[in-house]
Amino acid sequence: MGISRRDLLRWGIVIGGAAMLPDGLRPRLARADDLPSSPHTDPFLMELRVGQGIPPVAQPVTPFNTLADPGICVNVDGSTAFHVSPPRKVPANTEFFLIHERPLSHSFSPQLPKNILWGYDGMIPGPTIVAKNGTPQLVRFVNDLPMNDPVGIGEPISAIHRHGGFQASQDDGYPLDTFCTKQSRDYFYPNVPADGLEQNLHSTLWYHDHAIDITGPNVYRGLSGFYPNTNYLDTGDEATGLQLPANFYKGAPVGPFDIGLVFQDRQFNREGYLVYNTFDHDGFIGDKFCVNGLIQPYLRVQRRKYRFRFLNGSNARVYQFFLSTGDPFVAIGTDSLLLPHPVTVQSVRIAPAERVDVVIDFTHYQNNSEVFLVNRLQQTDGRKPSDLVSPGTPILKFVVGDKPAFDPSQVPATLLPVTEGPAQLLPQVKIQRRFKAERSNGAWVINGEFFDENRINARPKLGEPEIWILESGGGWVHPFHVHLSDFFTLSRDGKTPPPLERGRKDTILIGGDVARETKILIKFDGFTGRYVFHCHNIEHEDMRMMAQFEVVP
Amino acid sequence: MNVMWLVTLLLLLAGSGCSERIFKHTTDVSPSAGPPNRTALIRAEHLPNIELTTHEGRVVRFYEDLVKGQVVAINFMFTTCGNTCPLITEHLAAAQKALGERMGHRITLLSISLEPEHDTPERLREYRQVRGVGPEWIFLTGRRDDIEFLRRRLGVYDLDPVIDADPSQHAGIVILGNEPQGRWKAISALSHPIRIRQAMERTILPTSQWPTGETVVNEVPSQDNEAVETADLSILPSIK
Repeated sequence: MGISRRDLLRWGIVIGGAAMLPDGLRPRLARADDLPSSPHTDPFLMELRVGQGIPPVAQPVTPFNTLADPGICVNVDGSTAFHVSPPRKVPANTEFFLIHERPLSHSFSPQLPKNILWGYDGMIPGPTIVAKNGTPQLVRFVNDLPMNDPVGIGEPISAIHRHGGFQASQDDGYPLDTFCTKQSRDYFYPNVPADGLEQNLHSTLWYHDHAIDITGPNVYRGLSGFYPNTNYLDTGDEATGLQLPANFYKGAPVGPFDIGLVFQDRQFNREGYLVYNTFDHDGFIGDKFCVNGLIQPYLRVQRRKYRFRFLNGSNARVYQFFLSTGDPFVAIGTDSLLLPHPVTVQSVRIAPAERVDVVIDFTHYQNNSEVFLVNRLQQTDGRKPSDLVSPGTPILKFVVGDKPAFDPSQVPATLLPVTEGPAQLLPQVKIQRRFKAERSNGAWVINGEFFDENRINARPKLGEPEIWILESGGGWVHPFHVHLSDFFTLSRDGKTPPPLERGRKDTILIGGDVARETKILIKFDGFTGRYVFHCHNIEHEDMRMMAQFEVVP
Repeated sequence: MNVMWLVTLLLLLAGSGCSERIFKHTTDVSPSAGPPNRTALIRAEHLPNIELTTHEGRVVRFYEDLVKGQVVAINFMFTTCGNTCPLITEHLAAAQKALGERMGHRITLLSISLEPEHDTPERLREYRQVRGVGPEWIFLTGRRDDIEFLRRRLGVYDLDPVIDADPSQHAGIVILGNEPQGRWKAISALSHPIRIRQAMERTILPTSQWPTGETVVNEVPSQDNEAVETADLSILPSIK
C-alpha cells in the first residue's frame, strides 16, 4: 500500500527531493539509525601502497608442534567450542604461519584522530596469506586482543573463517569454535580442490572473524584479510599459466599488479572516533567509504593492465562500481573462482562478502590522467540498496603513470573451464531443499527459525548434488553464504542468471529487487560434519539469521 | 522510494526535536578528548530520560529511575495485541519464573505500551494481574511520541513504514541490558524460553560466573528441522 504523495500533502510537507535538503539534514537522512554524520574528510589524501593499505604477504615460519583446540573459551551466548580436536597431524610439506590478533593505532585519514582497531598481525587489512594448490598450510591464530576494552566495539573472542575455503569443519571457523584472549587455535588448510577437480581450483578467498553473535563488531573493528590461492592456471606469475596480471614475472617480484581491494563503510563520531551501533539490527551502514582501511585513497598505476580483487568487506552495504571514464573493464572471477571465460562489464554489483576479480587496462589513458572507481549504488539502511545515482561517490582514484609500461600479462579467452557443471550434475539430482529468508517480528529467520546450536537444518549426503531454493520476500536483500562448497546458480526468478552469476559462487544476493526465488546447485565433497550457512549482512547474522547443515556419508 | 525517504524524514524531524528535549539533561555524558567508551556512548545515544507512568500510576523517568545502574529486560507491547503477543508474554513469564527459581529475581522486566492512549495504568494493572506476573515486572505507559522515540533508539522499528505502523510487529524483540557495564543484547522473544532465561542470566552475571558449555547448549533439546522435497528439474531455464 505505502503512503501516497497525497498523504504527505495532507500533512503539509512537500519536498522535491534530497537535493533540496539543507546540508545539515542530509547526513541524518543518510542513516536510518540516526547517528550523527561523520566529520568532513577530504578524499584522495592517502596513497594506497605497500605498507599502507596494501598489506605484506605473510611469510612461513619454522614448523611448530600443533596444539589441541582450546575448549574453554566462553562465547557471548554461553556456549563453548563444538569442535575440540587433538593436535592436527599435518603432511611433511605443510607451510606454517603464525598470526597474532592485536590492537593497532590506525589512521583512516590524516584529518581524523588515530583509532585503536584490531588487526591480524596488527594490520588493516590483515597480512595476505598466499596458498599454493597442493601445499597444505597450518595457520596458528593467537588472540592478543585486550579484555575489557573500553571502546566496546567487538569482543576479544575469535573464530577464523577462511571464506570460500575447502576445509574440515573443525578448521572452518564454526561460530562456536572460538579462542579467547591469550589462547590460540590452529587451522589446517589442505589447499586442494574439492573432489580433486581442476574446475574447483580456488583463486580469491579471504579470512575474517566468525565468532557467534559478535562477528559484526569484530569484523568492523578490523578483523579481515585476503587469502589468495594460486594454482597451475592462476599462477601469480605473469610469465606462466594464464599470464594474468600478477606480482611476479619469471619468478622475480614486480608491481604490484595484482592488488586486493576491500571496500568497507565506516562511521565516526564528531571527534573522529569510530562508532558502531549495537542497537542497529538492520545492518550497519557507515557514511565513510574506505578502501583497505583508508578513506577514499589514491593508487598510482602504470600504463598497463592490473588485476584487482574486489572484496566487499562491509557489514551490510552493497556497491555497484563503475569507472569514471565510462569505460568497460573485464571481470575474470566471481567469489573464490575464476570465471570460465572473461566477461566485459560496464559495472559490477558486489554484495557483502562477495568478490569480483577484475582486470582494468590503463594502457590507453593519457599520461598522468586520473581515473576514479565510482560507487553509484545508493544505500541508506541495511534493508537494501536503493537506486543508481549519478555521478555517485568516487571511492578510489587511480593516478595513471606517464608512459606506457612493460606488460606481458594477458586475459585469455578461456580461464577456468567447467567440466562438471549443471549439464553433468542435474541428471544426478534427486532432492531439493527450500530455505526461506524472511523478516518476522523484528528479526530475520530462515525457515521461520533462528540459529540454534542444537538444530541441524539439512543433512546433505557427501558427493550427492542437490538443488537449494533460496526465497526471500518482504523487500530485504540478504547475501546468502554457504560454507564448504561453491555452487552453480541455476535460475533467478525462473530466468537464466546474468553473466556474472554463471560462474560459481559461495555468496549470492537474494531478495529485494534482485530475485524472490533463486535456485542453486550444490554438492558437498571431501568433508563430513557440521557447517553453517547464513546471511552475510553481519548484523542479520549476529541476530541469528543462520542455520547449519551436516554433511553425512 | 521517494515516499520512503519523505516518511523517514518526517520521523527523523520528529525525532530530532525530541532528541534535544530528552537528552538535554544528561549532562554527565560530555564529549571527551579520547575514543568514546561503551557505557557512555550507549547512555548518550540510546537511553533517553523520557517520562513514563507505571501500572501503579507512579511517574518515572526511563533512564534515571528504571535503567541507570540496573540490569533490565525491555520489550514493547500493548494490551489488545493478539497475534504472537500472548506467546511472547508467556515466554517472558516462563523465563522470568525460571530465573527466579535459579537465582532469585535479579532482572527487572520493563514492558512498554505501544498504545499508550488506550493502555492506561489501570488497564496495564489488569493485564498484569490476569497473567499473574511477578513483582519485578513493570508495565509502563506514557506519551506516544516519547515512546516512539525510545523504541527507535533501542532499535525496535521496521524500515518499511507500513510494517512500522503496525505495533504488533514490534513486540517480538527483547532487549537485555546491563547498564553500568554497557552490555546490551537483543534477542527474539519467540526464542525458546530457556534461551531467553540463559541470556538473562548472562546479562546479570559477570562473565566468569556464566554457566557454559554443552550443558547450556543442550538444555534446549535438539529439534532438527530438515525438510526435503523431490527435485523438480522441469522448470529450470537453459544455461549453456
